[in-house]
Amino acid sequence: MSLYTARRRKNAIWIGLCYAATAFGLSWLLFILLALLFQGIPGLMLDTFTQMTPPPGSAGGLLNAIVGSLIVTVLGVLIGTPLGLLAGTYMAEYGRHSRLSTVVRFINDILLSAPSIVIGLFVYQILVARMGHFSGIAGALALAIIVVPIVVRTTEDMLLLVPTTLAEAASALGLPRALVITKVIYKAARAGLITGVLLAIARVSGETAPLLFTALNNQFFSTNLNAPMASLPVVIFQFALSPYKDWQGLAWTGALLITMTVLALSIAARVLSARKTDK
Amino acid sequence: MANITAEGGAFALERAGQQAKVLRFFKLGDQAFHGLTLAAAVAILVMLGGVMVSLLIGSLPAIRAFGLGFLFTQAWNPVTERFGAMAPVYGTLITSFIAMLIAVPVGLGIAVFLSELCPERLRRPIGIAVELLAGIPSIIYGLWGLFILAPFLQQYVQPYVISAFGPIPILSTLFAGPPFGIGMLTAGFILAIMVLPFVTSISRDVFSTVPPVLKEAAYGIGCTTWEVITKVVIPYTRVGITGGVMLGLGRALGETMAVTFVIGNAHKISASLFAPGTTISATIANEFTEAVGDLYTSVLIELGLILFIITFIVLAIARFMLMQAEGNGKA
Amino acid sequence: MSNFRHDLPQKLSIKNLQFFYGESLALKSINMPLYSHKVTALIGPSGCGKSTLLRVLNRMYDLYPKQRAEGEVLLDGKNILEPTQDLNLLRARVGMVFQKPTPFPMSIFDNIAFGIKLYEKLHKHELEHRVETALKGAALWNEVKDKLHTSGLALSGGQQQRLCIARTVAIHPEVILFDEPCSALDPISTAKVEELIDELKESYTIAIVTHNMQQAARVSEYTAFMYLGELIEFGLTSHIFTTPDQKQTQNYITGRFG
Repeated sequence: MSLYTARRRKNAIWIGLCYAATAFGLSWLLFILLALLFQGIPGLMLDTFTQMTPPPGSAGGLLNAIVGSLIVTVLGVLIGTPLGLLAGTYMAEYGRHSRLSTVVRFINDILLSAPSIVIGLFVYQILVARMGHFSGIAGALALAIIVVPIVVRTTEDMLLLVPTTLAEAASALGLPRALVITKVIYKAARAGLITGVLLAIARVSGETAPLLFTALNNQFFSTNLNAPMASLPVVIFQFALSPYKDWQGLAWTGALLITMTVLALSIAARVLSARKTDK
Repeated sequence: MANITAEGGAFALERAGQQAKVLRFFKLGDQAFHGLTLAAAVAILVMLGGVMVSLLIGSLPAIRAFGLGFLFTQAWNPVTERFGAMAPVYGTLITSFIAMLIAVPVGLGIAVFLSELCPERLRRPIGIAVELLAGIPSIIYGLWGLFILAPFLQQYVQPYVISAFGPIPILSTLFAGPPFGIGMLTAGFILAIMVLPFVTSISRDVFSTVPPVLKEAAYGIGCTTWEVITKVVIPYTRVGITGGVMLGLGRALGETMAVTFVIGNAHKISASLFAPGTTISATIANEFTEAVGDLYTSVLIELGLILFIITFIVLAIARFMLMQAEGNGKA
Repeated sequence: MSNFRHDLPQKLSIKNLQFFYGESLALKSINMPLYSHKVTALIGPSGCGKSTLLRVLNRMYDLYPKQRAEGEVLLDGKNILEPTQDLNLLRARVGMVFQKPTPFPMSIFDNIAFGIKLYEKLHKHELEHRVETALKGAALWNEVKDKLHTSGLALSGGQQQRLCIARTVAIHPEVILFDEPCSALDPISTAKVEELIDELKESYTIAIVTHNMQQAARVSEYTAFMYLGELIEFGLTSHIFTTPDQKQTQNYITGRFG
């Protein structure tokens, strides 16, 4: 009988540890979110959204950083999404069982998790070094390279989910392949494809490393793509590591803004995909 | 066809001509679209190749200057232009190792909880909460680590650990003071929190591929829940879990912002985990924009190349294992 | 309706058993004995509840929150449906062989040893002897004695199922429940398993769910016919298959519906 009680005790201990692990993981989430709220909310004033980043010691805001982030993010998504969409379409439709698709899928998944700072180095080499100066367009390109693998993955997954009977019905009407894909299959997978784009936006909104030496940073307001451009993450980086209290406060507020954006996008993506499965 | 022959001759010819035009247009459009998608797919491969090639080209000056010895020198002097990768590489490996040491058991524990122990209603919210951890951008982790975690560790944890381990031989060097708060261990710890959602998410997916009959058979002999998990579920999903762990490792190795904030940025290798150090990505992030001179820049690019190669290998192995696990799951 | 023998010892007694999947009633007031050292077959068309009933006997349904049972199931006089019943101990006494062969991802030897080691601390030689006995008992020893340390998954379907039977038998249960054990097997393996069941009844009480009536007739001494969650008729196999009391039983046996 003692073997049995030993087994039961072992079971109880390890099960308890699993509960503990979950509590452990969740509590860190709580700590981080609480810190963000505590430290970042005080800075959520009108000024933050209307003033530029200040020199140390004066009051200011994050306007140029917010606008800059919006510009590079939107541009990056605009460049990366079509490329990702088309590649994913090839892998799911034209090349569904081809060797090329297997290789591309493999490489794509590696790019998906590759260190983003290396992407920044790459864009530095091909664009910044060539042009001789940092620029917003280089930053957008770096973000685009991060967007592509995400969109490829979700596009392929979502297109593969569309039942083949639908495509066959469209072809039976005489529609050429290209129209079957663009007019029928894309529509059927639309929710999933949009989810993929939302997830990509959420991911790049918080990326800092690829912007560090492509778009660099800009103290002043600028929408010039051919010049250095400010962005929230890089501003946070600069301000947080400084010894100035007001800069640090702005860094927290910027962090809160980014986190809220990411959370909102994730929730939107989740709602969208849930609605799709409810149908 | 019958219609066309039934109508008059000239009209029929004109319609047939129009049809042919439309069909030719369709065919061209098809070919164009097909070509476009194919080009996009190939572009992915070109991107990877491009990254490797440009990193190689950028590293050439540094490779020519330092050769293989680069990997085994701790020196880091931009003025005399003597550089060595040993400290960054050591830092990258050690922080990632610490991260995995914590993230794997905790991540697996959470995965077990979510798939076997959690009450039905709580499963979705807790699962979403864990995924949120993965969604938080790394700069947020860095900020939080620097301003919240590090001071906390410095005041309340590190002094006790240092004095507690003082008399014990090996541990006293591993955990030697002074208590900076920031350092290798803190960086490793933050990486662990960032990586554990990946381990959990992949483990959960693999756990769900175990056929219920198999688990029932184990319960049927009278196994406890833990025994079913360790003796049946985990051996069955072993390959997939390893793949998930490797994926997490790949992420940890390449992580930049979270680590840069709390690693302390010291180009030296210390025995103590409480000491500051540096990682490849932290070094690049901190020094690239201030690098003066071609050699300095090239050295940093070479560091990037090394990092890229290491993560590429780890991620490739992870993908291989996950592909195998998916194959088994469907079989 | 009841052809219950009051002189035969009942290993298991099912009294007023009701079973629910969520809100819907799947088993309606089942009253039935399982006599010791006899083979009882549960037959009926798909969806009649025979597998559900079987799975109550080792409380396998407990793994699934939306399933519950009411009533009494007495094992040697003690109600196993009570919440205080230790499930692991119950399953050590009441073993189950499933429809799909489920060897664990381990070697053949370890598959058997695994169960034994849960309950007993044995020396290496004793353990080897027990494994050999179990494999012999499942008529598998000669086929696998040279490859005991290869994976159990490498065996054929019939061999895997016999491995599962050996595994169940190795821990010395008192009752063995078979849930359509041969439906995934070829005729030759099926014959071997049926032979095995015949031998096993010397030492164990056996209940077997089968949709194959000929198998039920071959293998069992008592048969229960179920339909739409109710026990329609219970009695000697020889009686049920020749002169059943109920019209519905007659219709099923003669193939009027399936």
